[in-house]
Amino acid sequence: MSDALTRVHAWWQQLAAVMIKEAKQVIRDPSSWIIAVVLPLTFLFLFGYGISLDTTVVKIAVVREDDGRDARDFAAALTNSRWFLVVPAAGRRTGEQLLQDQSVKAVVIIPAEFDRFLNAQHTTAQVQVLVDGAEPNTANFVHGYVSSIWSGFLAARGLQQGMAMAAPVDVATRFWFNANAESRWFLIPGSMTVIMTLLGTLLTSLVVAREWERGTLEALYATPLTRGQILIGKTLPYFLLAMVSMLVCVLTALFLFRLPLRGSLLALGLVSAVFLFPALGQGLLISVTMKSQMAAAQLGLATGFLPAMMLSGFLFDIHSMPVWLRAITFAVPARYMNVSLQTVFLAGDIWAVLVPNMLFMLAVGALFFGLAWWRLHKRVD
Amino acid sequence: MLQRLLAIIRKELITMLRDPRARYTLIVPPTLQLFVFSFAATMEVKNIDLAIVDLDRGPYAADIVQRLRGSRSFTALPHYDSVAAARGALERERIIGMLVLPSGFSPDLAAGRPATAQLLLDGRRSNAAQIAAQYVSLIVSAEGASLTGAPADGDAAAAAGAGVAAPPNADVVVDNWFNPNLDYRWYMLPNLVGMLSLGVALMITALSVARERELGTFDQTLVSPATPVEIALGKLLPPLVVALVQTTLYLLIVTLLYGVPFRGNLLIFYAAVLAFAAACAGVGLCVSSLVYTQQQAFLGAFALLLPFSLLSGFATPVENMPAWLQFITTINPLTHMLRLMQGLFLKGASLGSMAHELERLLEIALFTTTAAVLLFSRKAA
Repeated sequence: MSDALTRVHAWWQQLAAVMIKEAKQVIRDPSSWIIAVVLPLTFLFLFGYGISLDTTVVKIAVVREDDGRDARDFAAALTNSRWFLVVPAAGRRTGEQLLQDQSVKAVVIIPAEFDRFLNAQHTTAQVQVLVDGAEPNTANFVHGYVSSIWSGFLAARGLQQGMAMAAPVDVATRFWFNANAESRWFLIPGSMTVIMTLLGTLLTSLVVAREWERGTLEALYATPLTRGQILIGKTLPYFLLAMVSMLVCVLTALFLFRLPLRGSLLALGLVSAVFLFPALGQGLLISVTMKSQMAAAQLGLATGFLPAMMLSGFLFDIHSMPVWLRAITFAVPARYMNVSLQTVFLAGDIWAVLVPNMLFMLAVGALFFGLAWWRLHKRVD
Repeated sequence: MLQRLLAIIRKELITMLRDPRARYTLIVPPTLQLFVFSFAATMEVKNIDLAIVDLDRGPYAADIVQRLRGSRSFTALPHYDSVAAARGALERERIIGMLVLPSGFSPDLAAGRPATAQLLLDGRRSNAAQIAAQYVSLIVSAEGASLTGAPADGDAAAAAGAGVAAPPNADVVVDNWFNPNLDYRWYMLPNLVGMLSLGVALMITALSVARERELGTFDQTLVSPATPVEIALGKLLPPLVVALVQTTLYLLIVTLLYGVPFRGNLLIFYAAVLAFAAACAGVGLCVSSLVYTQQQAFLGAFALLLPFSLLSGFATPVENMPAWLQFITTINPLTHMLRLMQGLFLKGASLGSMAHELERLLEIALFTTTAAVLLFSRKAA
């Protein structure tokens, strides 16, 4: 009994020794501070201030070829809209040139005889809209805005002329969890996922590769440490570092960007800790596989960071991707983290969402750690 | 002088391309990324799962559901008995939102009274949700338009038809220029050409000096008869060659495989590629002159890569950013490169309208390369 206890005690002492060594290395190396503190904060600021998916004001040109009252009214309705910044254009030619030169996103043309056609019995008044289709989203927004201003204009005109209004069918849209549909609210939890991936995967991907490059790995093997102790001892300091970084991010998000935290701190901490398991595992796997730091860093970037940006549902909705790509996203730990963080911040502790996601993360993490353990074994032989 | 310069360039190209794995990493990962990201990076919303809560059970509600079913944006329209029942599915992210057709919806419309359907959306995915909301609104208002268009009872309703949505004698005609089907990939692929060449040009130069320093070959170069300026130029030119080869490959893939039109001038295209690669290589060499190890170089380049790509209009429109960040976008070479690529691929813009962007790109290139040569010389001296 006491024999077993001594063994356990010795195991822990050895583990502590590796951890202390690794932690010293982390603290001493300035580049790990850059990656742990400077990069995350820069990143959060960039996303908080620089990135907004909410379309604000679109610059358009209005060409009015008719001098009638209705034509002027409609042009005024466009100018007064808060969605558009209107540049008057003398003629169709000028407007088209502005569009071609990327100075405006659309040209609205109110053609000659607009008033006459609108008011006559059997003619159709047409408003022509030339839209810069290069960026489809903005094009759709412009289309939607012009249409809604147009129907507003027609309704107002109908009222003036004393016409009875037909029954309109309306859609009242409401956003749950994010009432103003602010993109920042879902981008900031998403960028935290990216930051955590950066810390967990990129930083650890260099850990074993560095020892390999410097030739100190053999020295480590010569010690009585087991593989498990090496792996745990190497990752735990990074785990703590990432948790501290997460705390900095959370405080910034709550107090600077005024994000709500509708779930509990407990759930937030739990989700973060669970996410680090696959993130660190992935970094470690890369690290024991690649022999140079450079190659490890590149692989970490390509398989950790980029998928966290592109395939996690952070910037681009996963549901809209083709099936084969959606299948790939299941192997991206950031995907589960993203959903979990958005849920904890914006919706609350919905365990029906959090638990399955955490289980997935644990499974992916177990896979990565298992593979890393196995690869490390091959090396020792 | 020219002979020495050529010799250095030759040496740099050989060190870069000698290793088959290095050749492979220059071509294969970026091409794969082009492929994967062209599918992932879409702001179109597809495969929408929207719950229907039909409390009305009338003909008009059934009509709207029928219309939704007819749209190819929606894959599943599960029915729920109550908002509370659907809320659970929404919280679990099974659905993006729910369309609630309140009781009295059909009777109201039949009696000529306005009716409102409620659309409740998941604000955690507010961007996708907003776009989905647009689709739903368009479909529901189409239902409204069909109502007003249909012969209703009495003259009053017929007259009222002139007042709403799309009355028979007024019309908005939308013409999408440059990208008639609003295909998001047409927008993304030219952007990716710029993005991916940024990464490669920056990384190659950023690591070049650091690697030589780590390997100890840097001092050898310094004692050769070449002057520091020549050595620096020798480091700046190989990435231009790589960029030319890569972008030619991308150009072929984007136009032949994806069918994106190339409407501009090839000479302007290559001029833009060279100016852009020079600007990035200059930044990379600056980084390389300031660091001591490859790892630091990698982190430095990475820390720059992020703001470059985020503040360029790649993921989100520049117009949405605050003024001080918009200023940064004007000194970011990628911003101008993306405008040039959009102009060349989709818009077939004239030299006149492209000249401004090209000029800015050249200015930036001149600045960064001069700074790089100066920094490098100071370090080498």
